[in-house]
Amino acid sequence: MNVIEINQLTKYYGKHRGIENVSFSVEEGEIFGFIGPNGAGKSTTIRTLLSLIHPTSGSATIFGKDCIKYGNEIRRDIGYLPSEVFYYEHMKVREVLNYSASFYDNVDYTRIQSLAEVMDLDLNKRIDDLSYGNKKKVGIVQGLLHEPKLIILDEPTGGLDPLMQQKFFELIRTENQKGATVLFSSHILSEVQKLCSRVAIIKDGTIVQVENIRDMQKHNYKKFTLEFKGVIDVHHFNLDGVTNLSVNEDTLHFLFKGDINRIVERLQGQSLLNMLVEEPSLEEIFMHYYQKEEQP
Amino acid sequence: MNILKQELRMGRKTLIIWCLSLVGVLSLFMLLYPSIASQLEDFQKVFESFPPEFQQAFGVADLELSSILSFYQFALMYVLLAGAIQAMNMGVSIISAEVREKTGDFLFVKPISRNRIVSMKILAVLIQILITNAVIFTASLIMVTLLSTESYDFELFALFTLSLLFIQIFFASLGLFVSVFLRRIRTILPISMGVVFIFYIIHLLNETLKDEKLGLISPFDYFNLSEISKNMNYDSLNLLLWFVLVGLFTFLTFKLFARKDLPSI
Repeated sequence: MNVIEINQLTKYYGKHRGIENVSFSVEEGEIFGFIGPNGAGKSTTIRTLLSLIHPTSGSATIFGKDCIKYGNEIRRDIGYLPSEVFYYEHMKVREVLNYSASFYDNVDYTRIQSLAEVMDLDLNKRIDDLSYGNKKKVGIVQGLLHEPKLIILDEPTGGLDPLMQQKFFELIRTENQKGATVLFSSHILSEVQKLCSRVAIIKDGTIVQVENIRDMQKHNYKKFTLEFKGVIDVHHFNLDGVTNLSVNEDTLHFLFKGDINRIVERLQGQSLLNMLVEEPSLEEIFMHYYQKEEQP
Repeated sequence: MNILKQELRMGRKTLIIWCLSLVGVLSLFMLLYPSIASQLEDFQKVFESFPPEFQQAFGVADLELSSILSFYQFALMYVLLAGAIQAMNMGVSIISAEVREKTGDFLFVKPISRNRIVSMKILAVLIQILITNAVIFTASLIMVTLLSTESYDFELFALFTLSLLFIQIFFASLGLFVSVFLRRIRTILPISMGVVFIFYIIHLLNETLKDEKLGLISPFDYFNLSEISKNMNYDSLNLLLWFVLVGLFTFLTFKLFARKDLPSI
């Protein structure tokens, strides 16, 4: 069963494009990644799902019901963590969380306590005394306290230190194992790769690709930066699977897809000053998707 | 009910400050009464010596300063003016605050319809207006009773004082409408002061012109205190107009807000 089904969703802000003909679906029980650079339309899509904004055309259903028409019914089972969190400044953390809980039926109030303990959050502080990261923790607890069946995360990790990110991912995994479906929006590919089973990639308001993470890893690109002592023989590295080959003074850059041993073989006997093997950035991955589209 | 409770809690401090200020303005004027009561007839003569246009513009044409209620009428005008600003402030801010303080992403993703949120917020404004009026009514009743040397007409006093309630409800509903009509509101006070003063100036203008059509524009004319003291009642046409406009503003508030896009942060 599909928990989210988005069908030709289009949103224009006046003349500005928000998203255009976005379609994808999220199956029950999966962690679905939603990646794209800033301004690509991730938040617009999510805000439409939550009926914070109204689509220009197209539709979306959640749990099989239209997300605008049955918005308040659907939102009972949605937990949402926005990319930037703001709460009523003069309230205490505990008050905000209790207020949030008061909107749902049968909330287990001890869950607030236990979630706060996991996230190391002080419930007695005032919201306006909290740092950005701590506000984010309030957002996490607030989004999960009513045990939602669908968790929507919009760039959730900003402001969290690595340790907290880890704990947060564990929380999300636990909720997922208990049966919650997760829509995880991010512009950081690696964190999506860690958690998600499938991803939709959005750029300039349109979906470029919906793919299995495993398939993506099959064409696992590596980005090489090699700094040579002396002259560079470019042709020496012009192998099958090498793309974006470029030389900049003593430095050679390229992307490589395939058996890494073939590059290692080529490196033998070369005298290097420095070598860097990295995950390509999201932009570079996108470049790859565009290139693939151009080649029929 | 949780929204209502939350709104009342958040508005508590502001409400107390406004109530104290309104009572302050009223007492400041009313406490002048004992010291000048004996000279009021002289004041009256001075006012009467002014040219009629001048008298009208300052709202002293029909003024009978000799009694406590006519003096109260004079003082109450300022309370009406300030009370209108208070009510419009509440109306403009109560919904737009969620966008301005960026808490909309918290409240509007809760499993509750926008109409219900708006109803609760309107109810919160109404309750705060009722509290304000109860405070003002009590305070002015005490002051008028203590300061009057002879008996006064309680009915007229009540009609005078209750006009605050009607004027506040009018400006609150106008404020609500303005807040959902405008795309984004950054500051509230300039909007509400501007609107209230425009209506007040129209009212002053109409004091001189006495134009019937112009009188239909400003709510300060609907509840014209000197007319009330002459007729011992509110004007039924004006009351009807008040009712229709308040209804219209409220309806449009619901209608427009249900379709409104909440801007992302």
